[in-house]
Amino acid sequence: MLLMYALGLIMIFVLTFHLLLVSPLTGRTFAEALSYNYVLHNLTYFQVIFGILLYAATIHGLNGLRIVLIEWLHPGKYQWIINAIIIVLMAMLLALGTYTLIAL
Amino acid sequence: MNKRYKSGLFNSLNPTRYNLERWSYTLHRITGVILALFLIAHIFEIYHVTLGIAGWNQTMEELSNLGVIELIGMWIIAGSALYHGANGLRLILNEVFGLLLGKPRLPEYPYSPLSLGRNQKIAIYTITLIVVALWIWAGLYLLAGLGIVRW
Repeated sequence: MLLMYALGLIMIFVLTFHLLLVSPLTGRTFAEALSYNYVLHNLTYFQVIFGILLYAATIHGLNGLRIVLIEWLHPGKYQWIINAIIIVLMAMLLALGTYTLIAL
Repeated sequence: MNKRYKSGLFNSLNPTRYNLERWSYTLHRITGVILALFLIAHIFEIYHVTLGIAGWNQTMEELSNLGVIELIGMWIIAGSALYHGANGLRLILNEVFGLLLGKPRLPEYPYSPLSLGRNQKIAIYTITLIVVALWIWAGLYLLAGLGIVRW
């Protein structure tokens, strides 16, 4: 639980920053905020911040999904299947996200 | 697994017949699942920026071909993020630091829950007001292109 609180607290700051970058406060329309140059500039200029956000959000989000699935499905002795799916999904998403941040 | 436990799958999403905290719990859970599913799609979407300007523009064009469905989807995501973040901050204050809960006392008739005192109600209604206001702003921005602040 402490992991979820800690990552959630980190994300309150980092995700607020991320949302401000695509918010109307930047003076851009939604389509302009998604233009190639602006997205590329943000991802390279704030690479470390987006890296923190990627890891915090993926671990917090998929761990939350795992808890929700376990509480809804009551998997009993089959709980390892849910855990395995979540761990594999988490590794794939982190690899894809890390590649995106490094390859730019 | 007997029938009583199976009913929990659907009944756990029904916030009526409980108190205000149950509504915030249900909304927190639903918005959390929405955000987790969006996160998977979002990481895959942002990966397309590595394909260069042509690949990125093609991805954006395919998404904007969905038209108003994409924008309403983004609006739901924005509302989910706002609510989950604001309510999550309240939960951290409650459960990590023990704030807003009042002092413990022996239960007295009519056994109103101690965890839902005046401070908690003020916090929940304040969160609702702020989130609804920001969500309306996000809706005007996404669906009508309004509310843009040019410095």
